[in-house]
Amino acid sequence: MRQLLTTLLLALAAGSAAADAPTRFALSGFGTLGVVRSDKDDYHFRSSGTQSANSPGQNFDPSVDSVLGIQGTGRLHDQLDLTVQAISRQATGYNYTPHITWAYLRYRATPALTVRVGRTTTPFFMFSDSLNLNYATPWVRPPSEVYNLNPFSDLDGIDLLYRIPLGEMDLEIQGLFGNSAVSARSASTRLKNAKGINFGLVGSGFSAHAGYARTRLELQWDDGFYRALSNLLTALDEKAALAELSGTKGTTEFFSAGFQWEKNNWLTIAEFAKRRADRYINSAHAWYVTVGYHFNSLTPYATYSQQTQDAPASDARLPPVFMPLVNLYNAPRNNAQHGVALGLRWDLARNIALKSQIERIDAAPGGRGMFPSDSAADYLKPTSPVHLFSMSVDFVF
Amino acid sequence: MLLRFLTAFALLSPLASPAELVIVASPRSGAIELSREQAEKLYLGRTTTLADGTPVKLVDLPSGATRDEFYLKLTNKNPSQILAYRSRLVFTGRAYPPLEAESVTEARQWLADTPNLIGYLERGDVTGNLRILLRLP
Repeated sequence: MRQLLTTLLLALAAGSAAADAPTRFALSGFGTLGVVRSDKDDYHFRSSGTQSANSPGQNFDPSVDSVLGIQGTGRLHDQLDLTVQAISRQATGYNYTPHITWAYLRYRATPALTVRVGRTTTPFFMFSDSLNLNYATPWVRPPSEVYNLNPFSDLDGIDLLYRIPLGEMDLEIQGLFGNSAVSARSASTRLKNAKGINFGLVGSGFSAHAGYARTRLELQWDDGFYRALSNLLTALDEKAALAELSGTKGTTEFFSAGFQWEKNNWLTIAEFAKRRADRYINSAHAWYVTVGYHFNSLTPYATYSQQTQDAPASDARLPPVFMPLVNLYNAPRNNAQHGVALGLRWDLARNIALKSQIERIDAAPGGRGMFPSDSAADYLKPTSPVHLFSMSVDFVF
Repeated sequence: MLLRFLTAFALLSPLASPAELVIVASPRSGAIELSREQAEKLYLGRTTTLADGTPVKLVDLPSGATRDEFYLKLTNKNPSQILAYRSRLVFTGRAYPPLEAESVTEARQWLADTPNLIGYLERGDVTGNLRILLRLP
């Protein structure tokens, strides 16, 4: 994939030298340098299931938010262009190794209809298309309670975008089809034949989003809690329960809706998301509301966010003596928590924003929220509220 | 101390300039019509064409007070809001940023020479080889 990228970029650069029109080819980049610190030794914050559980908790941890991205866009023809983006960040399977996040050809069939083929991003959330681009948002990171509901971000396939003027607003309808894969903390997992529809409404200072997707889910867990429970289920000959832990026969549905509104320097962002899975993972829903205010280059904001579990990953019904093992299996697969965050974005120079954020997070009973651990003992202790301090510099170039 | 520093920073931010801004194009572009709403859509990357479907390209002035004033008047977004907003369009491959001229003179040259290229200038910088499409008082 990386060789392909290099070849494409070189070909485009060569093409652009010969062309007389400006901006045939553009190269740009973005990034975040960020650190997170928790006030508890044994609580290591992980904003996504793709980040490993092991690393210092109280130290200033750069692995959660830091990211570097580079993007090339080339116009091949008036109606045809190519976008390629690669990012580097800490995540399971590619520790800072560049990873292709966009590689698509876009064909503008008519001013209203666009077709994109290649690797785009899953449109599960309102900010899905700019998950790594923290410069574009007021937060240090998109609220994890909602955004960790779906770790799949790459979509290899095709989508159609159709734009309809609606008075002073524009309605964009997106239909998509494709596959996705991700290496998570303790699982390798795939979406097959994902089908989705998305509605975006954009007006002056206002935008709204609603989307629904349905997909086949393949997932193989590979952690100690899983091995313990699958050994037990094998020993008890609980074939049905065992088949619901890992495999290739899952179906999952995802729904999200949200809006952003800016008026008289006030800023409001809210989003709701829900995932329903018939096996392998839990079902949960989440929402957040952010309110901020622009004072010139300063944007203070406050966010309340919450994730609630609707159904545990495994609903195996075993004799009571074995139930603690089922609960221990379900606990790390339940990220339910709620949190309050206060933060400040400071646009200290053109293309550079400095952000800081303080959060208080309470994990819901039956899990540790987004503070995973590899140790069973950590899941048996009662949880306590955790305070997080985050600081980051976001830039674009 | 921090508060005093921040206050000083806020006071040093560029103040609104009183100059009238206009959106212009080459007279060679034909009978272009541009409403304020359409101009906002173009500069916010929500469309790449005029209301009648004609594709157009856009020019930005270099970073500075005139550019900031233009976006504030047209889109009600301050410079940092515009940069954040536009970064999202660019880094999703959804829209190209306008062509950025190095100076008013260069912008004026491009605009005079190129059909279907749209840009903004202070009223006093407009020369005879440009046509005014829209005033932003």
